[in-house]
Amino acid sequence: MTRGPLLYARSRTLPRTVLVLGATTVLAVLGARNLNAYLDPSRQVPVVALAPLFAAAVIGTSLHSASDELDRTAVRPWWRRRLVHLTALTGCAAVLLAATVYGHPSPFGPAAMVRNTLGCAGLGAGAAALLGARLSWLPVFGYVSAVYVGSANARDRLVPVWAWPVQPAGQHTAWVTAAVLLAAGAALYVVRGARPEGRHA
Amino acid sequence: MTLLTERAPRERGASPRPPLARHPLRAEAVRGFAPWAGAAMLLVLVAALAAGSERWQGGWAETRDQVHAAAILLGVPLALAAGCWQGGRERRRGTEEMLAAAVRGRTAVFLASALPVALWLVAGYAVATALALLATWYCATGDRPHFGTPLADALVLASAALAGQVVGRLVAWRLAAPLLAAAGYVVLAVAGYGNHGSVRHLAPFTVVPSASAPVWWQPPTTAVWTGGLAAAAVLAYTARRRALALLPLVAATAAGALLVQTGDGLWPTAPLARRQVCDTSTTPQICVNARYQGLLPQVTDALSGLIDRLEGVENLPVRFEDRPGRPGPDEVELPMITPIGWTVVRGRLTDPEEYAWAAGVTLQGRAECEELAPRVARTDEAVRHYLAPSPLQRHFDEDDARRARSSAAARAELEAKLAARERLASMGDEERRAWLSSYFATRDACGAEGVPAL
Repeated sequence: MTRGPLLYARSRTLPRTVLVLGATTVLAVLGARNLNAYLDPSRQVPVVALAPLFAAAVIGTSLHSASDELDRTAVRPWWRRRLVHLTALTGCAAVLLAATVYGHPSPFGPAAMVRNTLGCAGLGAGAAALLGARLSWLPVFGYVSAVYVGSANARDRLVPVWAWPVQPAGQHTAWVTAAVLLAAGAALYVVRGARPEGRHA
Repeated sequence: MTLLTERAPRERGASPRPPLARHPLRAEAVRGFAPWAGAAMLLVLVAALAAGSERWQGGWAETRDQVHAAAILLGVPLALAAGCWQGGRERRRGTEEMLAAAVRGRTAVFLASALPVALWLVAGYAVATALALLATWYCATGDRPHFGTPLADALVLASAALAGQVVGRLVAWRLAAPLLAAAGYVVLAVAGYGNHGSVRHLAPFTVVPSASAPVWWQPPTTAVWTGGLAAAAVLAYTARRRALALLPLVAATAAGALLVQTGDGLWPTAPLARRQVCDTSTTPQICVNARYQGLLPQVTDALSGLIDRLEGVENLPVRFEDRPGRPGPDEVELPMITPIGWTVVRGRLTDPEEYAWAAGVTLQGRAECEELAPRVARTDEAVRHYLAPSPLQRHFDEDDARRARSSAAARAELEAKLAARERLASMGDEERRAWLSSYFATRDACGAEGVPAL
């Protein structure tokens, strides 16, 4: 009984996933230090946008199960494990990444990092439910990178809604979008699980 | 029971010819991941370009640069990741051993899997580029479409897909594809925006002014540089004689050396950007850069009120000029048209009144003075107000009136300002012409000496 969660964690390669999240944090720290953000806080945007993006890819791919058909025959409901799995990794990534930009007060500081981690993780979880866990990084990468390039100097009223990953932490609309993405993606994944991929992907 | 050697009875009227055999590559091209990769490329590029369309639509050089930036900064990481994902397909399917026993050579088997993804990615990019060119075509104001850079970018994307496929075959890790994409973002951004001397020209993307155009051999050389590296990686991985990889590697090295050696000479100022088209019927003449010659009627129209008020005035500059570099001795700079997206959006002046006001400011020529005597500043303001008042003038005046209610000094300043405006407006035509002639004789002067009083 007590070994159940441990076996689950090993079957989802969770120890390695946490290690990769740690490595992402180290790289984000190195990146943030070289940006001289004290000159211009917006220089932190690449780190605040890209680090959560990669963390979401790591979390999304960890949702893959090598024995999906077998898992679905289990008597116990999976939703609790899925929920704990997703929230634990998302929380871990949010805390680790927020620490990378902690210190100098900035509109693109820890709060923006947490918001982006939550939004990207939700997007990745939703993609895992619709496309499959191993390919869940693709929509997240496509969306965030397109927004990063496209939103430069954009002056549309709806910019905070669709360009939430590059907004300052005080932009409430961006928080709403990220929260909606997290709720929708997490609900989709928790209820349906990752899309079965089989051996044809 | 039917023997396999038996022929099936031919249906009456059926064609004697065997059914058309489909090429094995067709299944690779129309099924699986390749079309999705092409669709992802199209969506990402279209979304990124559409979001900032006011910054490039209407200018052919700006369109080239924006599509180029999106293709390299977004497209190359995506192509690397898509190739990497496709490269791991046989491992995921468990068909590696079966393919290893195929009659065809490793290179042929590799290309059968890799080329469809590369071609679909290029197709997605081509559609996005065509849409961007169409979007610019209907509101273009001069210049012509530039095709060299987009063609080279297509080859760069195909090369990235092939290189990614090699990585995907070699690295058996679920995170290899996103990690490769993230590394691609970082490397391209650092190489493109950093200051690394001539070496930065090895990166497929570098920041260049929109008035620049690449020398004719830059796009093919960049294609050889990136394509050679990708071909070397493919041959080193698949060819039976791996020494063959040296051939593309040598070609890539030669191309890279040429790019580094030429350095900034790869992107000289375009000949068209050094020319301007002028309306010589006005004083001062109005010239617009030849890249935006279609804007000349709009600019002339916007400045018509200002030009009318200057009729008969002497000591004016000869023309408003719009070429790279500082204006000549008898010229003033035309208010900025570029970068597109501010004064000009989709081939239209966004605010002709504001533009005319900016032209009035450049005529006075005191923008670079560190300090101006209050009398000169008041006189300049009255002249600007007479020639072409700013559309925001009412707000400025309301602010001044609010300050004047609480401060005696501000009230005195406001009264002096309004009186100066009133004196200039109440002059007779001849008197005002003479006064403006003596006023413009002192343009560019930062001191109060010689500037006529109002």
